[in-house]
Amino acid sequence: MLETEQKPPNNRASRRDFLRGSGLAAATTVLTGRATAAIEEARAQDSEVQVLSGEIPLKLNVNGEEKATVAEPRSTLLDTLRNRLDVTGPKRVCDRASCGACTVIVEGETVYSCTTLAVSCQGKAIETIESFDTGPNGVPYAFHQNDGLMCGYCTPGFVTSCKALLDQNKNPTLEEIQRGLDGNICRCGTYGGVFKAALAAAKTMKGA
Amino acid sequence: MASWPQNPKLIGGRIPRLDGLGKASGKTKYPSDVRPDGTLFGVLLTSPVPYAKIKSIDASAAAKMPGVKAIHLVVEAGGTLHYQGETIGGVAAETEEKARDAVRAIKVEYEILPHVATEEQAMAPGAPQIMNGGNVRKGREVANPKVDEAYRAADFKLDSTYSIPVITHVCLESHGLTVRWDNDDHMTVWASTQNVGGVSGELAGAFQIPATNVHTMTEVMGGGFGSKFGADVWGVIAGHLSKKAGGKPVRMFLDRSQEHLTGGNRPSGTAHIQMGATKDGMLTAMIAETHGTGGSSRGANFPLPYVYFVPNAKRSHSDVYVNGGDARAMRAPGHPQGCALMEAAMDDIAAMIGIDPLDFRIKNLPPKDFRTPIYLQELELGAKAIGWKEKWKPRGQNGSGTIKRGLGLGLHQWGGGGTTDKQVSCTINPDGSVEVKSATQDLGTGTRTILAIITAEVLGLKTTDIKSNIGDSLFPPGQPSGGSTTAPSMSPPAYNAALQARDAFLAKIAPALAAEAQQLSLADGQVLIDGQPKISWKDACRKLGMGSVSVTAGALPGLSSNGVGGCQFAEAEVDVETGVVKLKKIVAVQDSGLIIDMLTWESQVYGGVIGGINPALFEERVMDPGSGLMLNADMEMYKLAGASDIPEIVVIPLDTPEMRARGVIGVGEPPTISTAAAIRNAVSNAIGVPVNKWPMTPMNVLDALAAAKQGKA
Repeated sequence: MLETEQKPPNNRASRRDFLRGSGLAAATTVLTGRATAAIEEARAQDSEVQVLSGEIPLKLNVNGEEKATVAEPRSTLLDTLRNRLDVTGPKRVCDRASCGACTVIVEGETVYSCTTLAVSCQGKAIETIESFDTGPNGVPYAFHQNDGLMCGYCTPGFVTSCKALLDQNKNPTLEEIQRGLDGNICRCGTYGGVFKAALAAAKTMKGA
Repeated sequence: MASWPQNPKLIGGRIPRLDGLGKASGKTKYPSDVRPDGTLFGVLLTSPVPYAKIKSIDASAAAKMPGVKAIHLVVEAGGTLHYQGETIGGVAAETEEKARDAVRAIKVEYEILPHVATEEQAMAPGAPQIMNGGNVRKGREVANPKVDEAYRAADFKLDSTYSIPVITHVCLESHGLTVRWDNDDHMTVWASTQNVGGVSGELAGAFQIPATNVHTMTEVMGGGFGSKFGADVWGVIAGHLSKKAGGKPVRMFLDRSQEHLTGGNRPSGTAHIQMGATKDGMLTAMIAETHGTGGSSRGANFPLPYVYFVPNAKRSHSDVYVNGGDARAMRAPGHPQGCALMEAAMDDIAAMIGIDPLDFRIKNLPPKDFRTPIYLQELELGAKAIGWKEKWKPRGQNGSGTIKRGLGLGLHQWGGGGTTDKQVSCTINPDGSVEVKSATQDLGTGTRTILAIITAEVLGLKTTDIKSNIGDSLFPPGQPSGGSTTAPSMSPPAYNAALQARDAFLAKIAPALAAEAQQLSLADGQVLIDGQPKISWKDACRKLGMGSVSVTAGALPGLSSNGVGGCQFAEAEVDVETGVVKLKKIVAVQDSGLIIDMLTWESQVYGGVIGGINPALFEERVMDPGSGLMLNADMEMYKLAGASDIPEIVVIPLDTPEMRARGVIGVGEPPTISTAAAIRNAVSNAIGVPVNKWPMTPMNVLDALAAAKQGKA
């Protein structure tokens, strides 16, 4: 353990080197949660250690389309989508995983793209609001008809969370909808329209 | 005097907003989404300390960093910074990441000055003075000469202190804009603003070019609440950065912490209130000493006494300056504070007298005010909807377990009203398309949609047939969106423009229909001759040939008004062991003259209520006295209501023939005013003791319970 203590904790390459040298099984019993995650990374990556810095080429699968760009290892998925790929449906609001405006669906699960690194999403299916059905059977339509939006800046996040919720629960109660949307914040106070929209969308999706 | 149609087909209906699907599908580009070719990313350098002089500032290393295209500083060595988050300068770089790195690389040496971050610190004896003339500026006292005597003689005397803290606007789209110099004296600007004309004017002034050369666009925007009326210092910095970078577009939006720190806030309010009343429930006197802070340079006044008739009143107010971000107008400026402080005292003295607080309020409405009959109707509707008669019990009688349930109410008022100098253009094209234009904005209130509804009403079309173009400084002059003035300022010229365009259109096509213009009318997408459908709208428009009909018109008198009342009722459950408040129901009754779109009107009122639930239960800017820093400049610890916090909210419009006859009155401000008052009164009613500090957090509720226990012991 001495070796890790002497090196800065954020030196990813050296930590991996250490993990490789120290024997994973022994290490697991004594390491902290953060190091355990690093073990997972080390296991996943059998190739030589890669140190990423500066701008690197990146391929992201966004709404079924392979998109090539450059980003930095520290670039969030949100900033990469918005600033480099012109995918601006997801919004940057809190930038710290508190408000849900940046919500996208990665491999079927909603994530806060403001606190997800773009590099970690390579090879994964990223679904953003831009790909949703805007017709009468879709969630956006239900938000529109039920006035589930005012300024609309939180709306893409709510619509995305709502769609993911309905994908998993076809018949939600009002309480389930409220719990399912608790990761999102609206400042205009449009919650009533949002709840109505979610209930209406569930109804149409069942009928569709 | 003009009047609105007597039997409208669209006005007053429930019409989905025109821009709703674009917003709900993520396709609409907000100002912060716009990335013109070659966009550089701006990042702002702001003060990390509450109060300091800049000893030296050196951006030379930052300027050499890869990707950095321009740096512009607005504070030089020797300059003073008055609060954490105050702007120092900005950087434009090829990527946002690089711009952030460069901002960090600007070396600033600070001479730290002793700060006062809270009102307590600022008002303490011997406090460092941060303002010429002192930290506390006392306003002129307004007093009725007999007030002290009247208070002394009162049957019941209340003597209490109440306070409501500073809150911030938390616009979800932060303040900012993208600026591009198109040539030496023309700029294009995409701004998140409530005032496209104001942004153009401010930038034109800063760069000494004509305002008409600054083209500002705000197709939609992500919330302003009163805090987005200008280009702001960061907008001017973006202009300089763009200029230095050869005119390339520079995008400059605040980050979330900057948004809390420098994007504006609502002043606090503290009131020491002495109130006197007779034993039959008539107010006789009110003496209020109040103070509040609007930050390092702004005032913090609010109306008090509020709503009720106080025969003898005395008021003195002091503005307190602290090393904190400066206040900006926030939804009904001053009123939520004045309402909360007044209505708390009203409930507390009603409890002393032993009178039903609803009856007490009715007794003390101003006898000659035009609002009084409106309040009476509204109170009746609200009381019925909350079940006041059946459910209300005096303090201390709301259950024997640990969960207590209580009811409360509050009344509010707002002036609003519009201006009469704004214009709308209405164009009917040979292909049947119709476009209205004005340089006003839609903050999410539904402005775009109501202009289309009014136009469609006149032309016998559907709302979706109208292209409603607003948010462009080059369009006919429109109303800055503040103070609930947009709808009453813009509806009359929209109506007038549509009427004139209709008349011009009918005159033009009459010969082709072998009819006189007076025989023609419009309904259901048809042109009628003597009341009989003759030809479809589209076919009729074709008869215009090559020429469109276009009219730009101003307001007609008699179509709008000002001055509204309104009341809200709250039902809350309080756990007296944990101090947790759970709202059960809110009823909001609101008048606002003629309602153009009932769907978006209801959303405004509903949202106003939530804008009041937040400061009632959660919101507070927390300043650390030690460091002078804001402790919750984020959205994790700066608490706002989420989906599970929302109770049943019943919105009731006072939509009567008398109200409709008043014409259009805005509704943005009024419904957010009395919510925090009604909730506080429900909480105090539930637990049997007054809670005198907002928000109604577990801590403030438990403190109130503990204080009452000590008082009794």
